[in-house]
Amino acid sequence: MSMVRYRIRHRTAYSYSGRIDLYHSLAHLRPREDEGQETLAHHIEVVPEPKIRAERRDSFGNITNYFSIEQSHDFLEVIATTTVLRPDLIPWLPESGIAWNELQVDPKEKDNSGVRLGNFLFPTPAFPSFASVESFVKPSLIPGRGVLDLSREIMERIYREFKYDPGATDTGTPLEAVMAQKAGVCQDFAHVMIAALRSVGVPARYVSGYLETLPPPGQKKLQGADASHAWVEVWTPESGWAGFDPTNNLLPAGRHVKIAHGRDYFDVQPLKGIFLGTGMQSLFVQVDVERM
Amino acid sequence: MSGFPMSPAESAGQLVPTDVYRPESGERDESIQADGRPVPAWEEFFESYQRHGKSGLREWREVAMRISRDRGLAYRPDRGEGPHWSLDPVPWVFSPEDWQGIENGVAQLIRLASAVLADLYGEQTLLDRGVIPASVVLGHRGFLRALHDCPPGDRVIGLGMSAFDLARSPGGVTHVLNGRFDCPYGLGVALENRTVVNRVLPNLFRRCRVRRIGYFFNEWFDYLAERSPSGSPDSRIVILDSDSGSENSEIGFLANYCGITRVLPSDLTVRNGTVSLKALSGLMPVDVIWKVTHGRDLDPLEANWRWTAEGVPGIFEAIRRGTVAVASHPGAEVLQSPGFFPFLPQLCRELLGEELILPPVKTWWCGDPVSRRHVLDNLSGMVIKSVGHHGDFRTRYGQRLSTAELADLRARIEAHPDQFVGQEQLQISTVPASIEGELVPRGAVLRTFCFLDGKGTPHVMPGGLGRVSTAEGVIISTRESGESKDIWVRSHAPDAPISIERRLEKSKVISPEVVPSRRGENLYWAGRYGERTDAIVRFANRLVNGRTAGFSYGRDLEFRHEKTLVEALFRLFEADSLLEGIDSPDERLALVLADPDCPAGIRANLGSFHRASMAAREEWSLTSILAIESARSRWFNGTSLQFESPYRYEDALNNLALNLAAFHGLNLDSMTRDEAWGLLDAGSRIERMSILVSLLAFVLEVDEPAPMGTLLSESVLFVSDSLGTYQTKFHSVPRTGYALRLLLSEEDYPRSLRYLLERLDSVLRKVERPERQAVPRERIVPMKKELMAFLEKLGEGEVFGGEERRAALVFLESMQVRLNDLHDYLTTTYFSHAGYHG
Repeated sequence: MSMVRYRIRHRTAYSYSGRIDLYHSLAHLRPREDEGQETLAHHIEVVPEPKIRAERRDSFGNITNYFSIEQSHDFLEVIATTTVLRPDLIPWLPESGIAWNELQVDPKEKDNSGVRLGNFLFPTPAFPSFASVESFVKPSLIPGRGVLDLSREIMERIYREFKYDPGATDTGTPLEAVMAQKAGVCQDFAHVMIAALRSVGVPARYVSGYLETLPPPGQKKLQGADASHAWVEVWTPESGWAGFDPTNNLLPAGRHVKIAHGRDYFDVQPLKGIFLGTGMQSLFVQVDVERM
Repeated sequence: MSGFPMSPAESAGQLVPTDVYRPESGERDESIQADGRPVPAWEEFFESYQRHGKSGLREWREVAMRISRDRGLAYRPDRGEGPHWSLDPVPWVFSPEDWQGIENGVAQLIRLASAVLADLYGEQTLLDRGVIPASVVLGHRGFLRALHDCPPGDRVIGLGMSAFDLARSPGGVTHVLNGRFDCPYGLGVALENRTVVNRVLPNLFRRCRVRRIGYFFNEWFDYLAERSPSGSPDSRIVILDSDSGSENSEIGFLANYCGITRVLPSDLTVRNGTVSLKALSGLMPVDVIWKVTHGRDLDPLEANWRWTAEGVPGIFEAIRRGTVAVASHPGAEVLQSPGFFPFLPQLCRELLGEELILPPVKTWWCGDPVSRRHVLDNLSGMVIKSVGHHGDFRTRYGQRLSTAELADLRARIEAHPDQFVGQEQLQISTVPASIEGELVPRGAVLRTFCFLDGKGTPHVMPGGLGRVSTAEGVIISTRESGESKDIWVRSHAPDAPISIERRLEKSKVISPEVVPSRRGENLYWAGRYGERTDAIVRFANRLVNGRTAGFSYGRDLEFRHEKTLVEALFRLFEADSLLEGIDSPDERLALVLADPDCPAGIRANLGSFHRASMAAREEWSLTSILAIESARSRWFNGTSLQFESPYRYEDALNNLALNLAAFHGLNLDSMTRDEAWGLLDAGSRIERMSILVSLLAFVLEVDEPAPMGTLLSESVLFVSDSLGTYQTKFHSVPRTGYALRLLLSEEDYPRSLRYLLERLDSVLRKVERPERQAVPRERIVPMKKELMAFLEKLGEGEVFGGEERRAALVFLESMQVRLNDLHDYLTTTYFSHAGYHG
């Protein structure tokens, strides 16, 4: 199998109008190493220097980094630099498998990484109910249709029916609002698809990662043109987890680099931080995914 | 009916006359046997009740209300979060034998729950073996995956204080209705009830040999101290309340009773992987946290979804590091799922090797096809609950639903059956309750409290919280409000009386004398708002007097005077813009006297004063609380939001002034001169100076000649509470020059700037911390110098020339700037009032 090597630089900078005395942060920036993906080098640089750093694994097997900055500061920079090697897959959808209406998932059953499927079947605090997606998913629910075929159609429908609009939502926008306005960004589309599938009993999980973007033909790729990305994985008894990218109507393959997966965005937020201090913050994020 | 006094011996076995108390036929009553005789444990109660009769019942209630109020326990159903359970003084009595059965059952339940929790955050063998359906656990909002690496054990506390709700069916079987493991409500209410009922019915209490509950708290604190990770004998324990619960008197009472400081999440900070309390005196490490707030809200950094940044960021990391012990385990809420109920008997056999003593209320998990069928076939008689406790589904009572609602519910269950349970609607036994002067049977639920100590030994509180439904019918929910009861557990031998306040060693806990910065800030604001309200009341008094009695200056002049005075008031609090476009004098008065939001009005400031004071309620004596509560409630309930005739306000204003004076007097009289008092006093002095300086500047600026000038000076003296002093001292009509000298330079006069600065200088020494560069007097000394320099130039004249006036205005302006500067300095130095931001 051919492999592709990426160098990823993910820079997050906060600047504050006042002084910050204390900052706690939890990062999901170090990629998982499974499903054929390998991390050759990884480094997280934090300025100012954290008082405490701890690398741990969360309950999904993702790698987390906790750090706290306890010196007064008005500027904070976190730069994660990663070199990964991953299979350069050809987008491929496995056999559609069992029909969605015949799928019976035992929530205590574990997937290939040892995590119970029940983690990916139920509402989460971020979307405590599936009610808002029920009418959306209904037209696709043809009895006898395979789970992966259903997933592909939902992906396509989200791509077609929802407008990509970074101004329409923020990370706190509830699912109901996304459904009402039919607009959002990759996180929202992933949530819609997850809720749609779980509402009919199909295990679905949220994937956080990067997508290598390609410049228009003949042009040089711009620095910082990439971004954090999110997509979905769906579980079937025949094929395990299979990826779907509703934002791009793509089956994730070589260009998708996975960092972490969880029940929803909040389980795997790339960089979450809480500060103590006064003043407004401004945030600057820059991601470069470079094929080596 | 109060006709036949008799001794207990004579009354034993007598029928309780049905006009005294008559349980519903066919329902089980806790106090009356089937043959109409009292249950033996209740004999003394009925004997006493028959002696006192209905008038006695009413008197008990009145006495209970008064004691609650006087002790500052007054229930405040008109505001605040959460349920309010007012007290029915009629106790719920248990015989020693009866209670033993309950205690055995509860002790078993807490052992069982503890074993289940350890498994869920550990090996999860119960899921693997299918003893508990995985969806019950994995679908519950309280199962905290973030703590997957913190199983309960030697380093991490599993269950802390827990509660079980019990009720008896008509057959006499005691059922479990609920388990509460995260932050059970009601322990403080149970304590309050005991405190009050003990005093309402002292003789009956003694004769019944009621077991004391103080020991239980001692044992609890022994356990918490034992869990201190530092291993030092001086463990530092705090009780952690939720930010939104700052008005929750039950936790405040609990903290006071136990002699422990109540902190809010914003009082705690995690630095270097350890938890500290932000106190006025600096950071103070915390070893053990008794949390009475939801575990899932505890750490916003690791919570799955929270976008508000309440809570204590980083605390989960501290738990992981083992630097702090938190009771209960923040993920304990998962055990509250009703989805466990059908499996309790099996769990009990598997985990404890015992038969379950107290059966849970009959529950069917709809994930099981046979159970689902049963639930759907009997839907209209069922109580349907969500297994995952997600916010979008509230418990439904089948009997209350319409056909359409039942159909909708059925569809929901069928779509996600494993997310629902159906419960039998239990008929529960009744107890005598005093409702509107009558003793009537009411369905009752008993909340018991318990914990496991370090050796795994269960401790069950010999008492608890009884809750009765006030309406007929038996549905009792903690979310709703109702009546609560003291639980009397009788013993054959009386316990020695115990007061926890005497036993709890200081070294075990962070005592309430440690002032968290937030409380310090609230005290400072209580001082400021108290003084501000006081000043506005005097303004209002003056304005109302002008309307009712007049000042004998003639209508035109007095009309102009009122207008100017209102403008002065609004300028004081930077609210001048509110007056724009309002020309009617009544409308302007209405802003001061009736408007709920006007920054120069009474309601808004009194409300702020009350809020700030109550957020620091630990600091006040019971009498002070009474003064604060009374100030607020008498004005809020006694005056209308609609402006009324000025005459209507005279009494209300006087009462408010008196209550505020009582508050200030009590503080002078009874507060320890510590740093808390220093901030309260500083707030009040700074506010007084700030008002004084602005007011004097205003008079000098308008510079009205007599007679208007005289009337205005008189008003300024009145508003500064100095008119009497002025008249005694100068024997003249008010003149600007004299007034200025009195209010600026008088050495021993508590209303003068000179005195106030001296006083501020001395009180702020209480909070001086040179090692933290916290030295407020460095800001005050220059103010004193500037004042003395100005006073030297101030002439002796009764009126002010142009030059003198300008110099005075420059001086007053400078003072105002310095006061604002001092305020900012205190705020940033002591309160670090900035919250967390995500």
